[in-house]
Amino acid sequence: MENSIIYVVDDDESVCRSVGLLLKAHGYKVQTFTCAADFLAFKHPKVLSCLILDIRIPHINGFALQELMAEQGILTPVIFISGYGNIPMSVKAMKAGAIDFLPKPFTSKELLNAITNALSKSKVQNKTQAEIAKIRERIKTLSPRELEVFHFVAQGMMNKNIASKRGTSLQTIKVHRGRVMQKMQAKTVTELIGFAKIAGITPSTK
Amino acid sequence: MNKKINKPQQEISLQKLQEKVHHLTDELSAIKQQLQQGVEREKVGADVERQGAVREKLGADREKQGADREKIAEEEIHIRTKAMESTFDGIFIIDAKKPNFPIVYANTSFYNLTGYSKKEVIGQNYFLLYGLNKNSHIYEEIKRALSEGRSFHGEMLNFKKNGEKFWSLLRITLVRDKNGTVTHYVGNKTDTTLMKQRNLEIEEQREELLHVTRVGKLAEFVSSLAHEISQPLTAILSYAQAAQRMLKDREPKLQEILQYIVNDDQRAAEVIKRMRYLLKKSKPTLEALNFNIIITDTVALILPQITAKGKAVKYELDANLPLIYGDRIQLQQVVLNLISNSLEAMEDNKDSHDLIIRTSRKDSDTILVQVKDSGSGILPEHMNKLFTHFFTSKPDGLGMGLSISRSIVEAHGGHLDAVNNPDRGATFYFTLPVDKKKD
Repeated sequence: MENSIIYVVDDDESVCRSVGLLLKAHGYKVQTFTCAADFLAFKHPKVLSCLILDIRIPHINGFALQELMAEQGILTPVIFISGYGNIPMSVKAMKAGAIDFLPKPFTSKELLNAITNALSKSKVQNKTQAEIAKIRERIKTLSPRELEVFHFVAQGMMNKNIASKRGTSLQTIKVHRGRVMQKMQAKTVTELIGFAKIAGITPSTK
Repeated sequence: MNKKINKPQQEISLQKLQEKVHHLTDELSAIKQQLQQGVEREKVGADVERQGAVREKLGADREKQGADREKIAEEEIHIRTKAMESTFDGIFIIDAKKPNFPIVYANTSFYNLTGYSKKEVIGQNYFLLYGLNKNSHIYEEIKRALSEGRSFHGEMLNFKKNGEKFWSLLRITLVRDKNGTVTHYVGNKTDTTLMKQRNLEIEEQREELLHVTRVGKLAEFVSSLAHEISQPLTAILSYAQAAQRMLKDREPKLQEILQYIVNDDQRAAEVIKRMRYLLKKSKPTLEALNFNIIITDTVALILPQITAKGKAVKYELDANLPLIYGDRIQLQQVVLNLISNSLEAMEDNKDSHDLIIRTSRKDSDTILVQVKDSGSGILPEHMNKLFTHFFTSKPDGLGMGLSISRSIVEAHGGHLDAVNNPDRGATFYFTLPVDKKKD
């Protein structure tokens, strides 16, 4: 709960104020906005966060804002709220990757549950992001040859295959590979292959 | 004149035909009179024969003239009979001087129309045919008109010989001799069954559309009302629950009051939920549709209003438009709303006349429908609010039409918007996704 922030975007000021008060009463740090543009312009701190977003807001609607966030790399998980509680809309919201869809009016319990889910997703996301960044940093330290060997290993190739493909001795490959393991801080080959997946070098198995 | 009758045009109006029959009847009696005079003059000619050769020659000339006239009269009768037989209308003549008003002539169309043969008709009273006595008020009306020396005009339900019903438009006119005495009645019967059926169909469709529109308006009204109310309900609930949280383990009396607020807020929310549920029950019927047909069908429903306002619809329809998938009635509603709006926008402008409806293929996945008017256009300050509930620029408008239309188009996966034309008026346009299965 500490070091997290809850954003609320709703064009109705009263909804913003009341939801803000409710969440503050539960110990959350809250930032409210009455339009999408203000939210986008806000400088997002790198902390756990979630966005409580009304679908029908003027100018940029909730779905459009969600797309813009993806474009701008704002990873905050979204909880949609709406006064038009129809099923197609909630399906669309969930398909677009929302954590939850709460028809108005919602109880504090419903809202707090959704926020708990959203923040744990945010945590996973942040962790993944940090991990990706860390691995990418390590990849940057590899020499061109080491990078090449890393690619081959990530594809599951044996040392001798790599050697014949590269036209070098098995011993040279073993040396390169040892350095790759060391620089990437991988204890096992499986771990190294996992890093490659996280960094997007090989396609994820998911 | 003769030429025209020799080539009877099918489109010729019944009234004109009637007038022509009258005219010919008059001409015929004039010719008859002349003929009579010719014969008399011939007699006189014979008397004066003795008086000299010159006069004899004159007499012979006159004889020749008489023969010519007889020939012309014969031709006239032939043409008239042909004309009467070739018309689509059933024509019959009643002898007005005989007490039972017998039919003395009927044309082929009359026999075809009624299913009776010549034998069954000639000499019969008109009213005895097709059970007109069952329809007594029309019968009385005809009798009254004729007895007062007026012509009759009216539409009625008749029965063919085999009992089959048919609607007809009957006009009876009076034929008088030179003294003004009514000698005959001429009846003119047009089969209006098909027209009547078509009108009934259009009326039914219009009713259906109106009903759905009313239900749609109600649903939209409830939906927007629910939305408007859910906003303060959300705020009240959150305020109350925030206060409960802040007072945690303190002020039990206040806690109790706050719980009452929470409970009643949720009670109100339940009412809204139930109201929404009731109106959501009618599921749309989805089918593959050709939007061009949706447009022409809808225009047919309101064509009378369009022409009454002195406006005209011009189609620019893409003949190769792919099918779309949707609810026919709902989409008709959208077209109807847009046309009605355009008509209203053009109402005050006498010189704006055309309403253009265009369909086209926007890209492989989408069709585009445009309704372009030459009316007053949209005020810039109205542009933003155009599709919101309860917004209207009309004194008696509800402000539901465009918001419903947008909801329908969006529910079909499309988008509805409006733009002012560079010259004048506005264009409302919407997209709809192409039916992938059928295309």
